[in-house]
Amino acid sequence: MLTDTRPAAPAAPRGRRPRRRTVVALLATLAVLAPVAWFWAASLPAGSWSVTEMGVPDDGGGPAGMAGHDMAGMAGRSVDTLRLPAETPADARITLTARADGSRYTLNGQTPGPEIRAVAGQVVEVRLVNADVARGITLHWHGLDVPNGDDGVAGVTQDAVLPGGEFVYRFRATQVGTYWYHSHQVADEQVKGGLFGSLVVVPPEGVGPEATALVHLFGGRRTVNGTPGDLAVPAAPGQTVRVRLTNTDDGPMRAWSAAPYRVLAVDGTEVNGPTPVSGAAVGITAGGRVDLEVTAPARIELGGAAVVVGGGGAPSSVPAASVDLLSYGTPAPLRFDPTTPNRIFDYAIGRRPGFIGGVPGLYWTINGRMYPDVPMYEVREGDVVRMRISNSSGEVHPMHLHGHHAVVLARDGVPSTGSPWWIDSLDVPDGATFDIAFVADNPGIWMDHCHNLTHPKQGLVAHLMYEGVTTPYRAGPDTPNDPE
Amino acid sequence: MRAVYRVLAYLLALEVVVQAAAIAWAVFGLTTWIEGGGVLDKAGMESESVVFDGVTGFMVHGMNGTLIVPIFGLLFLISSFFARFPGAIAWAGAAFGLVVIQVALGIFAHSIPALGMLHGALALGLLVVALVAARKASVATAAASEPASTGSHAAPLV
Repeated sequence: MLTDTRPAAPAAPRGRRPRRRTVVALLATLAVLAPVAWFWAASLPAGSWSVTEMGVPDDGGGPAGMAGHDMAGMAGRSVDTLRLPAETPADARITLTARADGSRYTLNGQTPGPEIRAVAGQVVEVRLVNADVARGITLHWHGLDVPNGDDGVAGVTQDAVLPGGEFVYRFRATQVGTYWYHSHQVADEQVKGGLFGSLVVVPPEGVGPEATALVHLFGGRRTVNGTPGDLAVPAAPGQTVRVRLTNTDDGPMRAWSAAPYRVLAVDGTEVNGPTPVSGAAVGITAGGRVDLEVTAPARIELGGAAVVVGGGGAPSSVPAASVDLLSYGTPAPLRFDPTTPNRIFDYAIGRRPGFIGGVPGLYWTINGRMYPDVPMYEVREGDVVRMRISNSSGEVHPMHLHGHHAVVLARDGVPSTGSPWWIDSLDVPDGATFDIAFVADNPGIWMDHCHNLTHPKQGLVAHLMYEGVTTPYRAGPDTPNDPE
Repeated sequence: MRAVYRVLAYLLALEVVVQAAAIAWAVFGLTTWIEGGGVLDKAGMESESVVFDGVTGFMVHGMNGTLIVPIFGLLFLISSFFARFPGAIAWAGAAFGLVVIQVALGIFAHSIPALGMLHGALALGLLVVALVAARKASVATAAASEPASTGSHAAPLV
């Protein structure tokens, strides 16, 4: 091509040569543009799609051949049937009414929404009413392994609740611990704007002194329960207080205290044998929770905000060290055997330029492919599943699997030596590899995505699908549903 | 088409300047904001709600670098096929190659920050290549138009 243009062109008479050169130039243009145009055209979204038709089926080495994958809605149980029986009486009822208030959202007039508290075993009924949120809303119970039909993912387990509409969620709160709820319709914008709240399940015998701290950035300022600055928790000197910290933002945060503290729980699950920590911070990934125990007076720093227990404690700067949950606490037997999995999956996160929905950009890849060619992890009820999550994308990703809790077996090949580390939201830094395992014990179609809520829009979302489960719901521009 | 080539070359050069200016603005703005008590962690970076004088610089650098500069680079390469002067494709190809490397460095420097030094240095390389290409196009245009301007009073060559 270079030699073609080199000859002393200006002197050449008009004739065959320039015409041939024009043809060569046009062909070269085509050669450059055709692949780009092809990738662009291939990325244009359909008007609507069912999640069951999406992605690259991955059976993880287990029994394959899931009839129904290509025949969405034709066979199998609908997610609508995966709910509590309608006749199950509710023990606790609440109505949450959502409104748009500028760029913020309120639930029952407040941001964040009211805390939902339940006693373990209670059936909770939440009636979600949309007063005027134009694009619609849903509620997802982050960390609670509810039945699939109540998972609250627009376009997967329900249609978005449009203005004037309502949806009744019902689930049995069986897991004691710290959870939260948030919208899973236009989730990035709505969670940033405050459409979330705290959800706490307490044991029947009750709990001691405690406080909830939902941490969120509004207008660049770190707030606790919606208020900038410090959260004061009254406590008598010497009293121990459990502080439930929830990171509702899109990136990992750290919490620390000058006084020793213990990490009582991670993602709602109690740590076995928590030891006092001093001189180290504990990381909380986006969407993740930790319960810390401090002795009053104490001050838990959150970076630009704090929880002040019993009025005391001097501000302290962030320690360089971090609590390593891989070795924190004492080991305990697991309730299943992860050494003999039925299925082994890879969830390798990368990044490259390309098109999604016709828009060029730098996008995330899963197992080397870009959305919508992301894996569809197929399981059967009762399977023991292992998953290796690795990240070579240059950025940290808080990976969140709906409907299940997984235990961390190893990080970068180093086995866990501490308390069983159960997660629903896992911080996966660049360059890290985690081996996790879980039991497929909650049939449905479950999102398995990054909880940096800008990232699912950029393709970092996959699904875990049980054999024989289908959904009548669809997402896409022709529907109201946009779960990301 | 040579004019298009020249304009795109200058636009690429201008983009290098914009990129350098934007990122310097952003870094100074960030440090000044932190000096004033601002706290930034990953959650803050992702929240899009952290606002300081210069935060736009990060957005400009990111959008420009991943979208607009590659588009200019691609158009520049295509225009070179039609520019018809010696070296047109070679210079545009070099510029396009540098753009590709710059985008790649922009990705991988997040894993290996020291690559950022190469990213900054190669930007100057792209600036030089774009300016040389633009100059070459101007010279070629001038040379091509000379015979016409010599007119009828020029002595016949043969």
